[in-house]
Amino acid sequence: MNEILGIILAAVISWVNFVLIDTWMGLPEAPGVKGADVIGRSIKERGGDLAGGFFQGNIVCSPDASAGTLLAAVGCYAIGTPEGGLIAAVLVYFGNRLCADPGYAGTTGALTITVIIFLTSYIGFKPEYFIMGMVLAIVTIQGLYHPGASRLLGKIAEKMGRHTKLT
Amino acid sequence: MIIHANVFSYVIALAAALILSLVLRLPLLPERPMRQSWTISAVFPTAILAIGFYAMVYELGYQGYIVALITGIITALFAKFILEKVVPLPESDNPEEESHE
Repeated sequence: MNEILGIILAAVISWVNFVLIDTWMGLPEAPGVKGADVIGRSIKERGGDLAGGFFQGNIVCSPDASAGTLLAAVGCYAIGTPEGGLIAAVLVYFGNRLCADPGYAGTTGALTITVIIFLTSYIGFKPEYFIMGMVLAIVTIQGLYHPGASRLLGKIAEKMGRHTKLT
Repeated sequence: MIIHANVFSYVIALAAALILSLVLRLPLLPERPMRQSWTISAVFPTAILAIGFYAMVYELGYQGYIVALITGIITALFAKFILEKVVPLPESDNPEEESHE
């Protein structure tokens, strides 16, 4: 497979993987720690959505499905599939617990991307495509325009019934 | 369909951890809503830890069904007796600790 095309497709798959899992696990509902609350309210003040802001704050403050996706891809690249992804899931779980997070989102994200990397390897995808793809995916959420990204995340949260009740 | 023998090792590690953690009276699943639950249960995180720990020992060169079985057993014991001490609840989620403040 063409490397550039592979990275773009891996970025889309990684984006969908971590955004859906993090939203399903309730990241937009409430800030897990004080830092996530501060980030969420700051983004809201700049014209963003509060639920999307909490989502962005939460993924900064603890290793959620975004970190799980990235670390599992790194694990599969460095150690092999599926061992690297399974080891990454354990490490993400302990990282979550140390960051005041029960660990469901991060662990689930690591396991799902391990399955995806395993399945897509049959059509020519390599784990390194997912490392680069995940970096690009997280840039679209955290690195370009916070208010715009938070509004999109807020809409997804609303559709999935995970929008925050806080004001 | 060919299933790699290693898959059975993971299944053994997972089954051993699940069964022993149920014997040790860990709940099968965390209470609902699960995404907010801190309860250590047989499925999460014990089963996940079991396959992760087996992947670690597998990569260190220790492989086979017996190793998988031992990994599953040790993981269940670890989840029941040690995990809460290694990674305790945050203080704000722990009413007992809060009452001491």
